[in-house]
Amino acid sequence: MESYHGEYGSLLDSDFQDFIARGLPSGLCGMLPDDLPRLSVLQQNLIGEGSHRLLSSSIRLNIEPKSLTKLPTHSCEVILIERLPIGVFADPFELQHLLQRGVFNNIAVFGDTNLELPSFLSNHSVVEVHMDVGPNLLISHKNGPYINIALPLHARYPPLDASGYSRVKFGAPDVFMCCSIEGNSPNQSCLFSPTGDGAELGSGEIVWRIPAGRKTHAEVVSIVTFISAIVSTLFIVLASIFYSKAIPYKTLKQS
Amino acid sequence: MLENYGNSQNSQNPCQLKAMTSVNIRALLLFSAIFRVILILYGEWQDSHMEVRYTDVDYLVFSDAASLMASGDSPYKRTTYRYSPLLAFLLIPNAIIHRSWGKFLFSASDLLVGFFIRSILKLRRVPENLCTYSVMIWLLNPFTFTIGTRGNCEPIVCAVILWIIICLMNGNVLQAAFWYGLVVHFRIYPIIYALPIILILDSNFFHSGQKPFLSYWTAGHGKTTQSSTDATYHYNMQNVLTKIFTRQRVMFGLVSAIVFFSFTGLFFYLYGWAFLHEALLYHLTRTDPRHNFSVYFYHIYLHYEKEISVLEKFISFLPQFMVQLVLISCFAQDFPICFFVQTVAFVAFNKVITAQYFVWFFCLLPLILPWSSMKLKWEGICCFSVWMGAQIHWLMWGYMLEFKGKNVFLQLWMASLVFLAANTLVLIMIIRHHRYSPVFRHLELKSSKNSVKLE
Repeated sequence: MESYHGEYGSLLDSDFQDFIARGLPSGLCGMLPDDLPRLSVLQQNLIGEGSHRLLSSSIRLNIEPKSLTKLPTHSCEVILIERLPIGVFADPFELQHLLQRGVFNNIAVFGDTNLELPSFLSNHSVVEVHMDVGPNLLISHKNGPYINIALPLHARYPPLDASGYSRVKFGAPDVFMCCSIEGNSPNQSCLFSPTGDGAELGSGEIVWRIPAGRKTHAEVVSIVTFISAIVSTLFIVLASIFYSKAIPYKTLKQS
Repeated sequence: MLENYGNSQNSQNPCQLKAMTSVNIRALLLFSAIFRVILILYGEWQDSHMEVRYTDVDYLVFSDAASLMASGDSPYKRTTYRYSPLLAFLLIPNAIIHRSWGKFLFSASDLLVGFFIRSILKLRRVPENLCTYSVMIWLLNPFTFTIGTRGNCEPIVCAVILWIIICLMNGNVLQAAFWYGLVVHFRIYPIIYALPIILILDSNFFHSGQKPFLSYWTAGHGKTTQSSTDATYHYNMQNVLTKIFTRQRVMFGLVSAIVFFSFTGLFFYLYGWAFLHEALLYHLTRTDPRHNFSVYFYHIYLHYEKEISVLEKFISFLPQFMVQLVLISCFAQDFPICFFVQTVAFVAFNKVITAQYFVWFFCLLPLILPWSSMKLKWEGICCFSVWMGAQIHWLMWGYMLEFKGKNVFLQLWMASLVFLAANTLVLIMIIRHHRYSPVFRHLELKSSKNSVKLE
């Protein structure tokens, strides 16, 4: 399968949009246009609390029931491209583990994957998820079948904020469908970009509130930290000298 | 506390004595080994069947690095691999035989630590039941058996440190120096033991071709004993200055430095700057702003965007430096307690504290317990409760921050202050109840001593 980001280095939104606009091959599946499934993102949700959450994306497929049989579902997959804001990252090793358990067809993280640095020392990253569109993966919904992709994400330490929280906003993901037709020519793949409704978010903008340190604490924290360290040091030093048997010369003389 | 058990030779509680001696060391080691094997097997099951892994994340890092090394690559291609290439080398069978090889190796080291604890105590003629009890404190400690079976490499470091102690007690200075150079290369923190080791390599205790004489355990009451007054070395500046460059000291310093630089040089030649940055410099300059037990974490986070001035670095290093210096001055000759209190203080005052660092002093605790007058009721229980309580308190706030997303930075920081206070209190209590007994006796005093049998 194609990996778009292997072809260019920048992860800026504007560059990515240009890339999409320049065109991706589509419509080579020998199906009538009406039969093309339409993709639209039904809903995106941030599930969980705290610094480790799941970004859940439900992608609806608008397919005519009779077209389902024509759709080569055994070799179709949905590709979700999630561009992560700076304050948040995906752990590539965790994703590999999920991949081994068969949760996704394929998954990759591009960009800044440093697991330890705080926000202001980090950069953008992008997660590309491939998920099979098989009959058993299509969940029935009153509006048609849809697929659920849950991406585990982690918060970085955000820059200091007076309110005590940093707000990280998620943009809309890009969703594609890619199918391979067996028979005509091997390894031919085709790609549909979102058609019809386009990639519309059923839910509002996703915002993740991450606890942040408060600058007003800085002075007090530093002073109290160092005073405690010094006080502890003093106690230990005094106890060592008082209770140690090596320093007092006179106790030895007494024996 | 353990003295009560030691004195039970004449005790009114023969049942207790029988119970203690019947738990012999072989049975204990066998039981501990079987238990660890079961835990490793359980860990494998949990990893493949449950969402939350039993295995430590670090173990997966080591394994990946070992696979890279097995295929001829640099282990540092694996991000967050921050250890010596020796560790990846030891774990190469993970890629060839089975991925649990490392866990078996670490658990075996853990059992070896138990065996070494017994050897060290036996060298000082500690009674059998006290020995067994002390070894149990290590082998049956839940922290101990989980750390090896989850794939943490600290038991190897502990085993090497104890082996160094055994070598010193047997007078094998060269061997001790070799392992010391190696362990400092592997894990930098043992550098704090350099000064006490140098101090005990005194010409009064070490003559070439002769084993040093050890002072033996006695069931003394109170804080001073008869034997220690004869054997106590008069540590003062005059001795240090006049005898500082003894043959043993020079040999130890030279050999350990050669070993350290040889391994470092070899791996620098093989893996370049990546090795130096990840395995050495990272540990020396590590200032992780993410929350951890250290009192400094919030201060580091609040100032992360600014450059830390040299003055600030100096001020934050001063408590650590002072405590280490005073502890060494006071306790060097009784080097098990010296190593123990140094390690506790080192961990407590460090910029970053993670739970795995605790095993560095847990392995030394059994070595000092036979000389402690602390009773289990209630001082021992009090110390244990205070230390554990402070940790649990911190973990509670940590959970609120990390898993509930509440801004509790200030409360978490205060919990780390409480943890520092708990560490200080426990350290002072241990020092207060410790019966200072220098390990080595003067060689010239041998002829005048007639109360202690020599080997």
